[in-house]
Amino acid sequence: MTIDTVDRTATAAVSLQGLSKAYGDKTVVRDLSLDIAPGEFFSMLGPSGCGKTTTLRMIGGFVDPTQGAVSLHGVDVTDLPPDKRDVNTVFQSYALFDHLSIWDNVAFGLRRRRVAKAEMTQRVGEILELVQLTGRDKDKPNALSGGQRQRVALARALVNRPAVLLLDEPLAALDLKLRKAMQVELKRIQREVGITFVFVTHDQDEALTMSDRIAVMNDGTVHQCGTPEDIYERPETRFVAEFIGTANLMTGTYGAAGLHLPGGVLLPTGRLEGVEPGGEVSIAVRPEKIWLSDLKPDMVQTDGILRATVYGGATTTYLFEIAPGIELSVLEQNLERARTEERWADGERVRLGWHPDHSLVLR
Amino acid sequence: MTRKPRFAIAVTVVFFALLYLPIVAVVLFSFNERKSLTVFEGWSLQWYDAVSKDRDLIRSLETSLQVSAVAMVGSVILGVLLAFGMVRARSRLASAANVIMLIPLVTPEIVTGAASLMLFKGIGLQPGLTTLMLAQTTFSISYVTVILRARVAELNPEIEEAAMDLGASRRQALRLVTLPLLWPAILSASILIFTIVFDDFVLAFFTSGVDPQPLSVRIYSAIRFGIEPSINAVGTLMLLGSILLIAIALLVPRLFGRRNNSLDLFGG
Amino acid sequence: MTSTLTSEVTGARKPRRERLWTWLLVPGTLWMSIFFVSALVLLVALSFGTTDELGNPQFGSTLDNISAIFSGPYLRVILRSFLYATLASLICLLLAYPVAYVIARYGGRYKNALIALLVVPFFANYLVRMYGWQTILSDEGWLLTWLRDLGVPASFQILDTAGAVIGGLVYGYVVFMVLPLYASLERMDVSLIEAGRDLYGSALQTFLHVTVPATRAGAYAGLALVFLPAMGDFISAQLLGGPDNLMIGNLIQDKFFAGQNWPLGAALTMVLMFLLLLCMSGYLRQTARDAKEARR
Repeated sequence: MTIDTVDRTATAAVSLQGLSKAYGDKTVVRDLSLDIAPGEFFSMLGPSGCGKTTTLRMIGGFVDPTQGAVSLHGVDVTDLPPDKRDVNTVFQSYALFDHLSIWDNVAFGLRRRRVAKAEMTQRVGEILELVQLTGRDKDKPNALSGGQRQRVALARALVNRPAVLLLDEPLAALDLKLRKAMQVELKRIQREVGITFVFVTHDQDEALTMSDRIAVMNDGTVHQCGTPEDIYERPETRFVAEFIGTANLMTGTYGAAGLHLPGGVLLPTGRLEGVEPGGEVSIAVRPEKIWLSDLKPDMVQTDGILRATVYGGATTTYLFEIAPGIELSVLEQNLERARTEERWADGERVRLGWHPDHSLVLR
Repeated sequence: MTRKPRFAIAVTVVFFALLYLPIVAVVLFSFNERKSLTVFEGWSLQWYDAVSKDRDLIRSLETSLQVSAVAMVGSVILGVLLAFGMVRARSRLASAANVIMLIPLVTPEIVTGAASLMLFKGIGLQPGLTTLMLAQTTFSISYVTVILRARVAELNPEIEEAAMDLGASRRQALRLVTLPLLWPAILSASILIFTIVFDDFVLAFFTSGVDPQPLSVRIYSAIRFGIEPSINAVGTLMLLGSILLIAIALLVPRLFGRRNNSLDLFGG
Repeated sequence: MTSTLTSEVTGARKPRRERLWTWLLVPGTLWMSIFFVSALVLLVALSFGTTDELGNPQFGSTLDNISAIFSGPYLRVILRSFLYATLASLICLLLAYPVAYVIARYGGRYKNALIALLVVPFFANYLVRMYGWQTILSDEGWLLTWLRDLGVPASFQILDTAGAVIGGLVYGYVVFMVLPLYASLERMDVSLIEAGRDLYGSALQTFLHVTVPATRAGAYAGLALVFLPAMGDFISAQLLGGPDNLMIGNLIQDKFFAGQNWPLGAALTMVLMFLLLLCMSGYLRQTARDAKEARR
């Protein structure tokens, strides 16, 4: 099944049901269930060891699940080896065939499928042009740079026009500029051809900029699955809040008046959804949501002592201590009226505030 | 730049000179006119002529070539399998295989020879061509496996996965992608083993029979029981052959485009 | 490549894939077990055996062979072998260090060619090379004849002495010392030597205090690679030595062939193996201790 023949209106492109993987007594993936829609750019994001790569390899067929099932376009492929599944993979190490030329590398999949010579030549030529490697087809992989090898790996997978493409941290080895350029390229290719991308990364910026949906993983499970905006603005767990961006975590006991923080500080949060009075709760606030001037009366307000000012070109980050052991990071754009010379001195007391809606209650 | 250590360089030069001295003696005297081993009288090819006419010697040469070829093929086949098994399998058998494979390397040949002789007599096999081939194959497996294991470990296992991902079955993946990458190492190891077995004496001495005698044993007998100048000729020929084979072994990886060469096998 | 990849190569639900690799081990391991391990076992077993009137070996459970070995003449041979092998190893070390050093530090473009040059004689037939030495060092050979021509009263003989045997051992195995040392020296960080020069001033001091400790691993490897085969060698003693220079190897050869006392030969072989195992374990313990110290 290729992208041309797949039934788009049908079921999920990739469906994982109760997938688990354990090595001995070490469980790497725990009861994972996901549905990925056709044509989606879907990312699996998480720190090293969270199980995202193992999950990807189970989709590809390189790892056998201890439990659970993998379906591709409605077909159960759990027992099928990689060569019988209609997915292609871009490996983190690229895994190019060093003894073959670029042309032979890219044509490898087509040859296995016994595609006619004329069609093969055309498709390989097209894909090499797409990744801007025309003219290098006779070279061997070790004559190419890292970025070029990455593109060969991509071409080799794409030329087969798979319905689903798996990418295992493909940009990890590239330098910043090249990585940014490739991110744009990948997104463009994905949009053009309409292939379902399953993209594994540990870089949150990468995931946020490229993905239609993200599954944030830790310790073998998915903490949250949603659009980049969902993940960022409405993190559901403490881990997601802290992994993506800065969380500005505040933990305390919730009472009628608000959140009681250590040191006797009371944060007038107003009503917090789904929290019982008397219980301990953590809330998070994103740094850019905190105001340092023009505070409105309905905002959650508190005093903070300035501990540090960090200039970042387009923005400035301030660190305020609002209670013993609790520091809030505040991000402000350096607009004209925000003078670059110091607004406050270290140790000065400043009033902070944010909209009550921006208080994120975390599990 | 620091001064060159003259003493060390002098030692090195003398070292190389002494290393080649007996070889020079042998080569030189293979062309000796007279039968003497101490006085060089003139150039002659008579000893080479005698060698070419010595039917027993030719037979020994054929025997040695046969044994080397068989040991080479047998040990490489078993060695490739072992190398993959040791690198890729995670079972206890893998660690056991590792140990079993290493023991011959640290065992003096005389021990292996004596033990092998014992085994064959115990089984009921008389020392002869078969026992020699079996013993040489056994000893060679260790060398081959050590060499190939390093190369297999270097291989990226994702290469096979990539091949399968692109539609190749596991067998096809091994054939189309893994083996070609391993081929230079296999070739080097083969040539190396061939040379080692061909030149080997101690093991051959213990496990070969009276007839046919491998070349190294025949030379030994000649040296022990009757000095004959044609030994020099045989020695020179063997030297040339070995040099040729080793040169090929060293050049093979370079022909395949690998940047490092099999010299890394030693002490690395 | 991240470490997560290497540990996730095969799955466990269908152990078929994992088992494939294990199956590959079977032919080779089986072969080695039959033709090597069982051979060693038989050897050890026969050490306790006897010979019947015809000289045929019989299995038994006597300790006669072993007690014979640890008495007078045999014990002397064992000690002598130990001495020769140790001396040969040390001489190899002293010779190999300068050679390896020169090639590694000053070889430049010719490094590989020099190593090749070093290794090539090793692939010439060992017997033929020893024969060459026999020719050169014999009483009518080159060396003594040449010395006599110069008027030097060379009435001593070179062959049939302990020196000749040890020299033969050195010649035969020195390559095994040069190669690991060379590999070690190659890997060494050159800036260490330069720093050492600053610190110690003289080249010799730098060598002793910086280079030698840094290349210790190579030296140990070389010592093992020379000592082990040297202990079992019999050719050098046979071709270059006399009746007073016999080594264990000669005894073993004799017992299995001319002397026809296989149980005794087996016992001698077993004792040799045991001694070597002792040395190896001492060597391993020393290198492990060194590694631990290096880590501190």
